[in-house]
Amino acid sequence: MTFRTRLLLVFTVAVVASVALVEWLVTDSTRQAFERMETQRVNGLVAQFRKEFAERGQRIVRAVDGIAASEAAINIAIAADDSPYYNEAASLAAAHGLGLLELVAGDGTIVSSAEWPARFGYREDWLREPADWESRGAFLRREELPDGVTLALVAVGTASAGGRQLYVAGGQQLDREFLSSLVLPEGMRVLLYRNLEPEFSPAELVGGRAEDVPRVQPLIEQVQQRKRAIARTLGSGAGAETFHALPLTGYQGDLLGVLLIASSRRELVELESVLRRTGMVVAVAGILLGMALSWWATARITRPVQRLAESAARVAAGDWGATVASSSAGEIGQLARAFNRMTHELVAQRERLVQAERVAAWRELARRLAHELKNPLFPLQITVENMQRARERYPEQFDEVFREGAATLLAELANLKQIVARFSDFARMPAPEMQPVNFNELAIDTLKLFEPQLAQARVRADAALDPRLRPVQADPEQMTRVLRNLILNAIDAMPEGGTLTVRTSALEGGVRLEVSDTGQGLTPEESRRLFTPYYTTKAHGTGLGLAIVQSVVSDHHGRISVESSPGKGATFRIELG
Amino acid sequence: MRLMSSPWFAVRNLALAALAATAAAATRPHYGGTLHVQIRQSFETPDPPTAGYGMPDLARAFAITLWEAGRRAVYAADENAAGGRPFLDTVEIEMARPLRDQSVDLELAKTDVVELGPSELRRQPAGRKVWASAPVRLVALVFAPRVEDARIREALALAVDRAAIHNVLLQRQGEVSAALLPQWLSGYAFLFPAAADAARARTLVAGLPAAVRAISLGVEDAAARPIAERIALNARDAGLAVSVVPQAAGADARLVEVRISSLDPALALAGMAVSLGLPEPPRAASPEALYAAERALLEGFHVIPLFHLPDAYGVNPRVKGRPGITPLGEWRFENLWVEGGRP
Repeated sequence: MTFRTRLLLVFTVAVVASVALVEWLVTDSTRQAFERMETQRVNGLVAQFRKEFAERGQRIVRAVDGIAASEAAINIAIAADDSPYYNEAASLAAAHGLGLLELVAGDGTIVSSAEWPARFGYREDWLREPADWESRGAFLRREELPDGVTLALVAVGTASAGGRQLYVAGGQQLDREFLSSLVLPEGMRVLLYRNLEPEFSPAELVGGRAEDVPRVQPLIEQVQQRKRAIARTLGSGAGAETFHALPLTGYQGDLLGVLLIASSRRELVELESVLRRTGMVVAVAGILLGMALSWWATARITRPVQRLAESAARVAAGDWGATVASSSAGEIGQLARAFNRMTHELVAQRERLVQAERVAAWRELARRLAHELKNPLFPLQITVENMQRARERYPEQFDEVFREGAATLLAELANLKQIVARFSDFARMPAPEMQPVNFNELAIDTLKLFEPQLAQARVRADAALDPRLRPVQADPEQMTRVLRNLILNAIDAMPEGGTLTVRTSALEGGVRLEVSDTGQGLTPEESRRLFTPYYTTKAHGTGLGLAIVQSVVSDHHGRISVESSPGKGATFRIELG
Repeated sequence: MRLMSSPWFAVRNLALAALAATAAAATRPHYGGTLHVQIRQSFETPDPPTAGYGMPDLARAFAITLWEAGRRAVYAADENAAGGRPFLDTVEIEMARPLRDQSVDLELAKTDVVELGPSELRRQPAGRKVWASAPVRLVALVFAPRVEDARIREALALAVDRAAIHNVLLQRQGEVSAALLPQWLSGYAFLFPAAADAARARTLVAGLPAAVRAISLGVEDAAARPIAERIALNARDAGLAVSVVPQAAGADARLVEVRISSLDPALALAGMAVSLGLPEPPRAASPEALYAAERALLEGFHVIPLFHLPDAYGVNPRVKGRPGITPLGEWRFENLWVEGGRP
């Protein structure tokens, strides 16, 4: 992954994270603001509903008071026989808009009942309890009807005349009709749970839908337990509703019902959805813009770095004169200028190093030449001095000495020529002429050349050649010289005989050539210095053979290595391609 | 003397004579005129009824001239009636009139004779002429044969608070009774206990399953529905679940009304037994035998007598003559006449 890609990735992640954070913060704060507004709205609506509910109660109180103050009620109160009035409640209730009305004599006996006409003569003793009915207003009460028990909002009035009293207990059933008659704001609905059974009964949920029952049951049960108002949001998405569950108690404080005021959250959810969509669009646009800016910024930031990297690559490739144009005054500019200074310094150092190496090479060459030439020169000098001494002191033996001295001189001169030829060969290493070379054939041919020499040295030759090997671009002459040097080196390493193994194996687009011996092996120090020119472990070596091998391999852009340990032979490994 | 022979005295005598003549003319029967009668019942038959009470009684002295089933009937005086021609020319009967509307029409003098229910009877102004029969209509509960458990029947009989119904719904009209024949006819009706005993009723049905304790009570007459509703309420106190239904057919029990058809107690009991679907009692020669026969009929509580009610009619003051109904409630309009009729 390039620096630019990484930088772009970092910028992108930073932009996305920042935008997401901002988006979340804005959305969350907006949502909370809307939630507060929604809460205020719902509270307002609930207050409005409570007012409406209270107004209904007041209306009932007014109607009951109106009946209690009517002439009809007075007449009933003072009548010696109230039986003729057993049907009066129905007409009075109808006239005053009440669904329930009972006219009860002072002794608690029902004179007339609108909701249950047959109940005349029965008793309503609760009315005779000491209570200030006039100031109590409307309250909730369980009412028995022919078809069951119901919950009603009732008020009690009294008509008194001539020392006699008539209770007027009237009200409205809290049923579906009552709920539907309430003026409700848009998006609000009202459910009523009549707490008339010991356990939760779905049949007592008035005004709700079948699917409301499992949703509101836990809420109702909580209100039944705590006997206080609870607000909960039930459902999810646009179908969610905020329920305000209000306990409805009777005049004795007993929980008679739970009023559920449900406010739809659809509007809020839709508003939040719009906000979320808008936020998403803005966020995506922000991210895209941020990514574009990041791309531009990373391009601007990484261009000098890229140039710097290219220059460094050129330097690594050998172009030590590579420089970077620097116009920036920042860190990148400083880096570029430092790079330029570094490359200038490297060039200068390299030139100094080359010079020093040259000097060192010449010194080493001179030292080796002096060393190599000194050895033959000493016998030459001795031989010539012997010949001179014999000529002067022993003329009769001079011929014999001369013949022997001449032979020695020739032998040492031949030795000198060989030394000079080797140095000449090392100096005259030409550039390789590449052509496809089959290294298996090359190995077989080279081993054939050494058959007599191998036999003489009691060395057995093995060829482990990879049949999959394909021709590889190489200079056959130079590679033959390489293999020859390695075979000679191996023979020299096995003075007591042994096994020479030449092994080829195919590489991806190349070849591996290995020459192994079973000789004494090399120490780690020897292995490290083995390819140094003029380094040799042999008594009569020039130290140029492996140096020539390394030079050829290097000219073929290959690698040479040695693997050895003392007493276990050595393996020279060449990889080309 | 001077005074007695004075002109003033002569004038006074003339005036008194004129008043006496006018009074005599007013109380003297007149021929002619139409008697307008309204009834609650509606006869939907193609021909006028010939049996029963009310309209069929007119056949004694009148002949039907117009029949509009369920709406109106006009009877014309029979010139050859056995008892002589009636004073009235025609009797026009309007059917299917609610009791309340009848009272209003009477109040507005739009009609001459109307039926009076308990509430209407109570509301009649002072001085209103009212014809009332003896308590001749028996209101009773009749169980269907499928209500086999006598405890249920007895419990319902014990649960009904007849006194409250009599006092309020019936406005003390008629009399509470647990006997088939009224006290005025049999003389022993008081021997049949009519008091409610809800505690005993509860004990009777305490061990019975709810399905057995559920009873449907059929009431076809809307005017009788309040009585049925009150019975249902009383039954509830006793542990019975009585539901009032408008169809008598198929109900477990019915609230019915039957009339006494004879002044002879034995005949009346026999007629009533037939009407109520009870076995015909043996002919009783003595009050004791009659009592035993009636007790036997009521054994098992298949029929629970509740009240004996009279027939009551409000009458327009222009209708003259003796009451137009007999103690049994039969119509006797042939001796009536109306003011403004043909002299």
